[in-house]
Amino acid sequence: MTDAERDPVLRRALEELRRVPPADIDAMRRVVAAAAAARVTPFDSEPGVLSPRRGRSIRLWMAVGVAAASAFVGFALRGVWSARARVAPTFVSSTVVDSTNTPLRQVVSAEPDAAPIPTQFVFNSRRAHRISVVGDFNSWNPSNAPMLRSPDGELWSVTIPIAPGRHMYAFMVDDSLFTLDPTAPNARDPDLGTKGSIIIVGRP
Amino acid sequence: MSSFPLQRPAQAAGLDSRTISRAKLGDIDAFTAIVEAYHARCIRFARAMLRNPDEAEDMVQETFVRLYRALPRYEERQRFESWLFQILGNCCRTANTAFQRQSSRTTTDDEAVERVASPDDPAAQFDHEWSEAVRRALAEVPEYNREIFLLHYVEGFSYEEVERMTGVKQSALKMRVKRASDLLRTRLSEERR
Repeated sequence: MTDAERDPVLRRALEELRRVPPADIDAMRRVVAAAAAARVTPFDSEPGVLSPRRGRSIRLWMAVGVAAASAFVGFALRGVWSARARVAPTFVSSTVVDSTNTPLRQVVSAEPDAAPIPTQFVFNSRRAHRISVVGDFNSWNPSNAPMLRSPDGELWSVTIPIAPGRHMYAFMVDDSLFTLDPTAPNARDPDLGTKGSIIIVGRP
Repeated sequence: MSSFPLQRPAQAAGLDSRTISRAKLGDIDAFTAIVEAYHARCIRFARAMLRNPDEAEDMVQETFVRLYRALPRYEERQRFESWLFQILGNCCRTANTAFQRQSSRTTTDDEAVERVASPDDPAAQFDHEWSEAVRRALAEVPEYNREIFLLHYVEGFSYEEVERMTGVKQSALKMRVKRASDLLRTRLSEERR
């Protein structure tokens, strides 16, 4: 018996507070329907889409994304290697958002329906066997953005089109280790109650 | 909506890990089982936590929607129930802040009590009065103490679990629970006089 339960007044209060309300089947149905509706997004129905709001021009943007990735990989590599040279941590990662390609910048907009922007994520780990980027832009699904390992086996990268705006993300290492990006700011996630890394896509 | 099989009453919480794993993969039937198992307890917690208990159903729905969206990120080494109540606590605190800001919409406790029809049966009347007294007393407990008190004494989480959920040290948690208990005892003793 707890201290509170030894007190007769508190014991009666706890009995009252512990009374479980009757099951409300209709309310539960509404909950399930609302949750199902919230999780079904254009992303879910079109595997190539990495924006919850946009479901068109994906092939074009994937192609642009690949092109942009090759354009920026040199920059990303330089940044990552220099960071590693300074601190040599176990995991080093960085994100590179396209900000120099003029044709791409023309479609950047603060509008919610603005086109996705190719965004590169880089992670450095020799020990990992699999790494993915997970975030609100891909339903936090590790299978949606697997990273490719560089020939030297240390650098992992992926470029994915992401809708402009503030996004929360992390790296999923070996399908189990949820790892924040040490180079990015982080914030508390209202869903998980824990932290996630933050990226602003589309801001110059 | 009729496609969701919700025929059974809410069960005491205690889901197997397979159900949670299936829900993580988007299995709506598995998620339905989760809702069935926890919905009533979540309503109980939300009614006790919220400044406006009428919002309880909405907040519980919001919690389950967030949970379903976040399920792919759920790490099974964490206790599922702790995770659910952590999200629910976040939703309730956010709702309380919004409710406080919208002072014009705030209903006083007395008005809320008047909305509840009084039962005719004298015994039921007594229970009803005690229930309202407990609710009024609990409403006077500061939110940060009330949440810990409810998690520990009503929902049955250990101090160790509540520490993991809230990030507050156990010594501070025990102090908060003691303060909540003291205030409840004082208020309810006054009611009985």
